[in-house]
Amino acid sequence: MAQSGYAYIYDDFLSDKKYERDLAVLESRLATLDLAGRVGKLALFRSAKDLVESLVSQGVTTIVVVGNDRTLDKVLWFLPYLKVTLGYLPVTEPCGIATALGIPKGEEACDILAARLIEKLDMGLLDERYFLTEVTLENSAASVDIEGRFKLSPMHGGRICIRNLGGIGEADKADAGDGLLEAVITPQTESAGFFKRNSFPETRIKFEHGGLTAHDPMEARVDCHTANSLKFKLGIEKGKLSVITGRRRKPAQAGLPKRSEFANLPGTVRNGKNIGAGGGIGIRTSLRG
Amino acid sequence: MFSSSKKTEGYENPDKAREAGATVIARGVRVEGDFTSQGDVVIEGEVNGRIETGGLLSVGPEAKLKAEVVAGDAIVAGVIEGTLAIKNRLELKASARVQGDTSCQTVVVEAGALLNGKISMGAVKAELPHHKSKATQTEEDLAA
Repeated sequence: MAQSGYAYIYDDFLSDKKYERDLAVLESRLATLDLAGRVGKLALFRSAKDLVESLVSQGVTTIVVVGNDRTLDKVLWFLPYLKVTLGYLPVTEPCGIATALGIPKGEEACDILAARLIEKLDMGLLDERYFLTEVTLENSAASVDIEGRFKLSPMHGGRICIRNLGGIGEADKADAGDGLLEAVITPQTESAGFFKRNSFPETRIKFEHGGLTAHDPMEARVDCHTANSLKFKLGIEKGKLSVITGRRRKPAQAGLPKRSEFANLPGTVRNGKNIGAGGGIGIRTSLRG
Repeated sequence: MFSSSKKTEGYENPDKAREAGATVIARGVRVEGDFTSQGDVVIEGEVNGRIETGGLLSVGPEAKLKAEVVAGDAIVAGVIEGTLAIKNRLELKASARVQGDTSCQTVVVEAGALLNGKISMGAVKAELPHHKSKATQTEEDLAA
């Protein structure tokens, strides 16, 4: 049976009574769509990795996360190591990743699951751990190393964001299918008054590998968790995660060239040369010079 | 045509720069190292090291470069300390402060711009002295 390889991972907060009705609606819809499968429940001292690995060893090929973005965060870091497709049924907030994937909250998400539109998304690497959306440092004076060739840093501190799929609410601004990360640095400026506004508010560079370094320990928000260190290594692996996405998902920057075409655009760093679209806007330009 | 007006006016807003695929180093951002690009580059922040682009380099009025600069064309309104090798056209705005030797094909200097250094014009290669081929360096060394 096609649907027999489904397993649903319920977050532990869903055991709260207030979600009973939501879950009943979901389960009823899944049964109607013939998408029934095994259920695994996360708990405080239960490893999500062990639970999923055990289900995969029993023949499960589609892992459907039921909960919210925090539930997804518990499995994202190890899923690329397994031969599974990820589905997502967001029940409650925060569900910005669901929005980025074109998955609506609640019952409608079951229809997305049934449509089974599978996309292979790149996964970013922060040190040896996978991330899907972005790594963000707030008010940081850290430096972003771009492929060992040059470093970018906000002079008076600022926001540093390393995007793969893109952030919650800004997900459409990054492309998780181009094999590149995007560093977005939004510096704090001393004067942002009417007469001296910052006409170029941010710096954007696409790159394949690099790092983050700082003199003081950094706290980075990675997907829905935080990581602390003086130094992080950054990388990306192309098409590492198979995800069921919605048709409403706008392929990030619709109209942007494919990865192979990116190689010929001004602004992206590849093999140490900055050749890609630095603005990150989907306008194709011809190569000059 | 947009491309020709860009050559003389640079990018005056981020949308135009990004639409054209230019790489923007915003004000308040510092670049250290060897920054190489094949497209247009807009610098509003600081650069220490070396910058090379085959396209148009726009240096904003608040930008500070302590760098060797190689570019196809350049419009400079900020401060540059270092050697400039511009393949085609160099335009110095009134607020420009350039300290270093410069080579270019054509130069446009607005009243008020400051240029301290040797300037070579005509058919020049957009290369810095230490980036010349070994053969060329050997011949020159022998001649010296």
